[in-house]
Order: sequence, then structure tokens, then C-alpha cells
Amino acid sequence: MGMEYLRKLGFYLMDTGTEYTLKIINEARKKFTNITDYKTLFRFYEEIVEEVNHERPASAQTINMLRDLGKTILDGIYENLSIGKILEKIISSLDFWERRIIEECNEAAHIASRRLVDGDVILTHSRSTCVLKAIEYAKKEDKRLIFYTTESRPGMEGLVTAEKISSIGYPVKLIVDSAVRYFMKDIDKVLVGAEAVAVNGAVVSKVGTSLISLIANEARVRVFVVAPITKFDIETLFGELVELPESDWRRLMSPDVLASLPENYIARVPMFDVTPPQYIDGIATERGLFAPQAIPVVLKDVYGKWPPEVPELDELVKKIRVIVR
Amino acid sequence: MKVPDKVLEIAEAIRSMRIRGAGRIARAAAEALKIAALEYSGPLDEKSFRKYMAHIADLIISTRPTAVSLPNAVYYVMYRLLTSHGDVNELREVVINTADRFIQESIDAVRKIGEIGARRIKNNSVILTHCHSTAAVSVITTAYRMGKVVKVYSTETRPFFQGRITARYLLEAGVPVIQIPDSAVRYVMHEVDHVVVGADTIASNGAVVNKIGTSQVALAAHEARVRVFVAAETYKFSPSTVIGELVPIEMRPPEEIVPREWIESHQGIEVLNPAFDVTPPEYIDAIITEIGVIPPQAAILVLMDRMGWALSKLKQGEIGKIFFEETLEE
Repeated sequence: MGMEYLRKLGFYLMDTGTEYTLKIINEARKKFTNITDYKTLFRFYEEIVEEVNHERPASAQTINMLRDLGKTILDGIYENLSIGKILEKIISSLDFWERRIIEECNEAAHIASRRLVDGDVILTHSRSTCVLKAIEYAKKEDKRLIFYTTESRPGMEGLVTAEKISSIGYPVKLIVDSAVRYFMKDIDKVLVGAEAVAVNGAVVSKVGTSLISLIANEARVRVFVVAPITKFDIETLFGELVELPESDWRRLMSPDVLASLPENYIARVPMFDVTPPQYIDGIATERGLFAPQAIPVVLKDVYGKWPPEVPELDELVKKIRVIVR
Repeated sequence: MKVPDKVLEIAEAIRSMRIRGAGRIARAAAEALKIAALEYSGPLDEKSFRKYMAHIADLIISTRPTAVSLPNAVYYVMYRLLTSHGDVNELREVVINTADRFIQESIDAVRKIGEIGARRIKNNSVILTHCHSTAAVSVITTAYRMGKVVKVYSTETRPFFQGRITARYLLEAGVPVIQIPDSAVRYVMHEVDHVVVGADTIASNGAVVNKIGTSQVALAAHEARVRVFVAAETYKFSPSTVIGELVPIEMRPPEEIVPREWIESHQGIEVLNPAFDVTPPEYIDAIITEIGVIPPQAAILVLMDRMGWALSKLKQGEIGKIFFEETLEE
């Protein structure tokens, strides 16, 4: 169905944040079988950490999962557990994360869906597992809604989002990313997902989200983010900046289109951007809908302490490395 | 009334968008009037000639109802004809000379806008531009030759990718250009010193109608306290907006965004493709025209100065368009 045409437009379906973490969990599960020594165990762990740092450095959920995994490994070493016992713990930790990611995404989506009311016109951007889930909940309750989706370049995954919302049973209007301000006066709410939420309430999401939130703010349209607490980026607590990966022309066109452009043509293609907390009205988590400014309160509730006592992932990796050697 | 084939050809090319861009459309319209005058073969009385020219003028204006440069070019030429007297040959000369002058002024305008606009660019500037505008490119390349421009961000400008045309022109002039997707405008805005864009139409309150996305580029600039310059020839100012007419925004076919097969296999999805949007004057720092840099709020002065005749006609008739055939009764 016009795939050739879409390929020319640089169509590329990137995993959603949730899909990505689940994919890494599955990969890890495969890797962490039949290991007989600590060295291999650690090498595999480090490989996964490196892969994630390379592919999706902003994916807080994956980083949080890996931190937890690292702690399991470190605790196992400290407790002098047999390699078999550690592997057992790792697998049960991965199973736990898989379950919680799905459940908490569903619960956050459920809470977000309560904010959608009959007659609402909703704008969404990019493709988010939890946002689509929220739309399914709204449909189950028979809410009358209309959706706008942006095509969401680079990648154009907005086409897939439109398709999915349409199959859920809602009318969808597809627009180019540039037409957001043109249509904003027709929109009641903006609903987006997140790659990460910084501790100050800033939201890292698909590039374009911050522009949409700015436009919504100008038009006094509310912006809601669906993000389970596992997406909260604890590392930002240590002043760590969220690393935003960038791509190039490959996410905008096919090689034959590039060949038709001047030789010295250069494209800069950021994949994510940061929406400041003042443009966000609410973050829907599995524990409730919060103002972005309330995140420290939420984290204190979750970890029992503020600031939470969690190790930095890099520190953890270093510690394990020293011990294994 | 026999309309010359060449005039019909130009009209058709404007209608089908083979001739695109406000400047080219305006010059084509003037050219069509000139050809019409040259090839006039009707009775050699003044009245018949005026009637013929009015008919041609209305025909040309009707080809693209939303492009303001088109009627403005026609007004420019026809106003001189309406206020001139003489026999057919003398009137013919008036039309030819005025059309030639319009075309020359239009070409000179781009160069003048480049020179005037470049003075407003600071040293070591990073510029962001949206879509493709000859006037905006003229400002950027002139400033670059003055050694003021470090880098240009050019948006791809979906759905038609006019940004690729901009990139090509700028690269040919040696200007370092980086293309970004339209969604990345706010992401790079903190690096940008000036936004320079063109305009399709400028309304009497200084609002700028331009390629879809311009208004959100301007908003992102405003948020980051980056100055926004609009480069526009004076024939882009719309007289009909003075009497409250809205500038119509053209909805273009969805096939420009996604392929027909996709649209057909997704019946529940409506693809909306507005071609232009409106940037409010408060997000615009200056409009750079060939007659000087003006604040958007002074748009009305440009209109009164340059389009006074059209304004009074429009007010008289209380209509958004002038029909030249109806002006003949005077």
C-alpha cells in the first residue's frame, strides 16, 4: 500500500518506549541462560547496558530496569550466591519488570482516560503504547471523541497511530507536523506519551512534542502526558542531563531521494525533545494524575525517602566490574 | 471577444500551478496583460480596447482566487490604463510600458529586499527559514556575502519539501545549510538569532499569511526571544483585507501528504492539508519590503500608499474583488 512512496518519505517505525523496554527484557532473558561464570554474566550485563546507552539513552524505563538488574547482580555477588541462584533471581526480576511495565502502563492509561470526556477533540503526536491504551479505555466506556494525529516526522509513525485509533473505532484526522497551530483552536486536549520524565517534571518525548505543548499553552489547551513512574528518570536527580540521540537524512528520506539532492546536503534529525514542566498540565501515572511539579512528592512516596536512595547506573556498572575482576 | 492563445496558456499555467510562487505569478499576470495588448485585433476605438483589457484582467484574476500578488499585479497595470487617455495605440503603449515596469520592479524588489534585510542581520548569525521564499533567500545570501551568516537551518516543509529547494539555492550560494524536520523547530531555536521567512499575503493589520507552519515557527521564535523578519514585496499586501475580507486558506488534496492507496485503505482517517496559516503581527518584528523595513502594524500605510486606488474601489463596491468589466460604465 504505497510502501515505496512511504519509504521515500523516510517512514520508519521506531519502538515505543514501552515496546523498547520489553524488547530489552526479552533479549536479556535469552542472554542470561546457561551462564556458568560471573565474568560472562557481567560481560552480558555490560553489553546490554552499552546497547541501551547507544540506542535509546533517554529511555528512563529501560535504564531503571537495568539499574534494578545491576542491583540484583551486585547483591548476589555480595551474598556469595551461586551463579545458578543469581540467574534465577535475574530471571524472576525480568519477569517482574515485564509484568509491572504492562500493568502500570495500563493503570496510568486508565487514569488518563478518565480525563477524556464526551465531545473532546484530542490531539496526539508520535506513537505511544500507553496513550493508545488510554484511548482503548475511553472507547470501552463509550466516550464520544475525535482525534487528530500528526504524521510525526521523522519516522512518520503518526500514520500507524492514526490507523490504530481508527481501528479502535474513533474518527481520526491526520495532519502534517506544521499544521498543529492551524488546528489547535479546534483541539480540547493534547495527549502524549513520554520517553522519560525528569525529576523537575520536564518531559522527554518524540521530537515535536515541546513545540506542540508550546502551541497548546498559547491556545490554553491542556497537555496531558501518560507516563508510568518507571519512566521517571532518577539519574536527572544527580544533575545528569538527559542525552538526546540525533539521527541524519536516513530518517527523512530514502537513499535515492538523497541522491537527487545536492552533494553537500546535510540534515540534522533530533529524535526527542524536552517539554518544560510549565507547559504540562498533568502526568498520568499508575498512582494518579500529578502536576509535573509534584514529582518529588511522588518519588518520596514510591521510595520512602527524598531524595531516593538509588545508585547511578554507571556507578553500579563500575562496582560490579571491579568485583568481577 | 477573442482572447490570444498565449494569454490563455498563461492563465492555465497559473490555474494548474505550473507557474508557482507569488512573484512568478505576479510577473506572469503582467506579462499576460502585455501580450493581450500587443495582440489586440479588435475595432480600433478606445472603448472596445478598454472593454477587451477589462475582460482579460478579470480572466487572469479568476485563475487563482487566493493569490494576492495576482490581482495586485493586474491592479497595477489596469490602474494606469483606467487613468490614461488617448487612442488605441497610445493606450496599448501604456499597458505594455506599465506591465514591463511592473516586471522590472518586481525583479528589482527581490534584490532591494536582500540589501535592506541583510542590514538587519547581526554578525555571526544563525538563521532559521521555513519553506522556500526568493525574497528570504535574497536576504540570507546577501547577509552571507557580507560575512554575517554562520549557519542556516532550513525546515523540510512538508508536504511539498520546499525546504529542499531552499537548501539547494543556499548551497549554490555557498551558505552552510542544515535541513531539519518541521517538528525540530523548537529544538534548535535556542541556537538561532533570526528567523527570516517570506510571505504569501500580508493583511492590513500586519498578519502574515504564509506556508503552513510559519505561525508555529514564529511562536517558537517569540518564546525564545528570537527576532522574526518577513521578507515581502509590496504587491503581497492585500487591499481586500482592509474592508475586513478574510484571506482564504486553501485546503489542498490529501494525496500531497500520503499516497492515494494509503488514503483508500484507511477510510476512517481524514487527511487534512491546509496550505497556509496566519502569523499574528505580535510575533513579527519587521516586514522587509523593497520600500523599506516596516513594523507589521504599518502594513495599512503601505496599502494606502501603494494600493490606494484599489482600496477606494473595494470600499465603493464593498466586495473583495474588483471586476474590471464593471468599472467601464464610469
